[in-house]
Amino acid sequence: MSEHRAVVVDGVSKVFNRGTPRQVEALVDIDLTVGGGEFVSLIGPSGCGKSTLLRLVANLIEPSTGEVLVAGKDAPRARLDQEYGMAFQQAGLFDWRSVARNVELPLELKGWDGSRRRRRALEMLQLVKLTDFADHKPWQLSGGMQQRVAIARALAAHPRLLLMDEPFGALDEMTREHMQAELLRICAETETSVVFVTHSIPEAVYLSDRVVVMSPRPGRITEIIDVDLGPSRTVETREDASYFKKITEVREALRAGEDDRETEAVVAEERSSR
Amino acid sequence: MIRRVALFLGSLLVVAAIWELYKLIGPEAGGTVFGARLLPRAQDSAMPHVWDMLSRFGDPERRGSDRANWRVVLAAAWFSFRLALAGFAIGTLLGMGLAMVMARFKVVERGLLPYLVMSQTVPLIALAPLVATWGGKVQVGEWVWPRWMSAAVLGAFLAFFPVAVGALRGFASAPAASVELMRSYAATWRATFLKLSFPASVPYLVPALKLAATSSVIGVVVAEISTALRGGIGRLIVEYAQQSTGDPTKLFTAIFGAAALGLLMAGLVSCFEYVMMRNRPRPEEDERALDTIRREALA
Repeated sequence: MSEHRAVVVDGVSKVFNRGTPRQVEALVDIDLTVGGGEFVSLIGPSGCGKSTLLRLVANLIEPSTGEVLVAGKDAPRARLDQEYGMAFQQAGLFDWRSVARNVELPLELKGWDGSRRRRRALEMLQLVKLTDFADHKPWQLSGGMQQRVAIARALAAHPRLLLMDEPFGALDEMTREHMQAELLRICAETETSVVFVTHSIPEAVYLSDRVVVMSPRPGRITEIIDVDLGPSRTVETREDASYFKKITEVREALRAGEDDRETEAVVAEERSSR
Repeated sequence: MIRRVALFLGSLLVVAAIWELYKLIGPEAGGTVFGARLLPRAQDSAMPHVWDMLSRFGDPERRGSDRANWRVVLAAAWFSFRLALAGFAIGTLLGMGLAMVMARFKVVERGLLPYLVMSQTVPLIALAPLVATWGGKVQVGEWVWPRWMSAAVLGAFLAFFPVAVGALRGFASAPAASVELMRSYAATWRATFLKLSFPASVPYLVPALKLAATSSVIGVVVAEISTALRGGIGRLIVEYAQQSTGDPTKLFTAIFGAAALGLLMAGLVSCFEYVMMRNRPRPEEDERALDTIRREALA
């Protein structure tokens, strides 16, 4: 792991619809640093702001307070420089483009010429083991294959950071485990840092160097758990006792977040009834 | 393809058969159903035999003329087709332009869309003489507004609306995640439009263009009639209708001409559809293609 920091989130809060009756405190006082080459998962129940946090890092939305740095730059600058690649739950491939041309999309927007784009796209497809499907249309591919194309697309411009929002959420369990292993392999090969949003505990533990546990209303980080399962994780990892121990730890942290909130709710209720 | 052509010809035969059947059993002087005059007259002056109508195409247009009727009808249909095509082209450009501006600026959409809807409630026959009058006053240097231009403009007036509405919906049909993806690439509005919004709009654009194509034909034919423009199929229908007491089959040749014109226009859009949609998933092929590839992947 290098000294270079991929992401710095410093004292960030996000309020939606400020000043209206629909005001929502999505995130409060978030501090998070992701090191170079590090894999960090954000986990928590729906409404805990994990996707919001990811979108703040991607500069798809602006923080209400605080600062976000990506690759040492302001988030807006980092987005303009395409410092990160992004993948969503839906592969979101363009039907009218071939698989290879989908992977070329970010390169086209960077103004690369055709032959260079094509070369890089084929390299990327090799990485996700879909070389044979370069000229297929996305809708001819299975869900898992489509998601691999989306990952290839996210990595095409060789960003050092990958932002993923439940990318495997729509896949069946077997495909999902396979994709997780592939993702780890790809990240190791390309030395890419990852911020990964999920609500699957085993997925978070299997993939991550650190798991960030969040809780809702308002969204905040309740605990950050180091997962020291070693650098290379295999099928055996999934059956290892230390793996299960970590899963339990994350689960308890999630539950603690829930309990906190319930306690707070009870306290608040008592206060208001007094 | 062959199947579709055969189906089309078959359906023509069925219509012709029903026509003849009605002539056989229908009341000669028309009939009443529960006191209302509903049944058309089956006599030859109102419903000529199919073969009489077809053979009329080969006869001279009028007594003493050496031009066969089909030549006159074809020339008129061709004249109107060019007008309709011009109207369709103008309407499509205008519709796309408006949709682009509306997609780019929400304020314009809110301000403009009601007027576009309202424009379509103005009856064409009321508008046609106005456009012809306005057009007659247009003169730019040497260039004078030709009379046929008014008919093309009225075709465009009907054609632009479905295109504008269809394209607007189409541009907005790109999934939010794709829009966000383009944003994450810091893509400009132009790049997002060309690479995402426009291609995403094609499935909405195709039916809109079909509608626009047939609308432009209607616009042109009605405009020809209400601005007394000579040379087109609309005018021919009026002329032949006036002669229909003496020569009833002649009117039908002009009507067939108008129908052929509409078909030609629709065919043109189908070609466009084929070109634009050849790379898109077709629902029934989706699953089959998927199966094949899964098998390939496993092998």
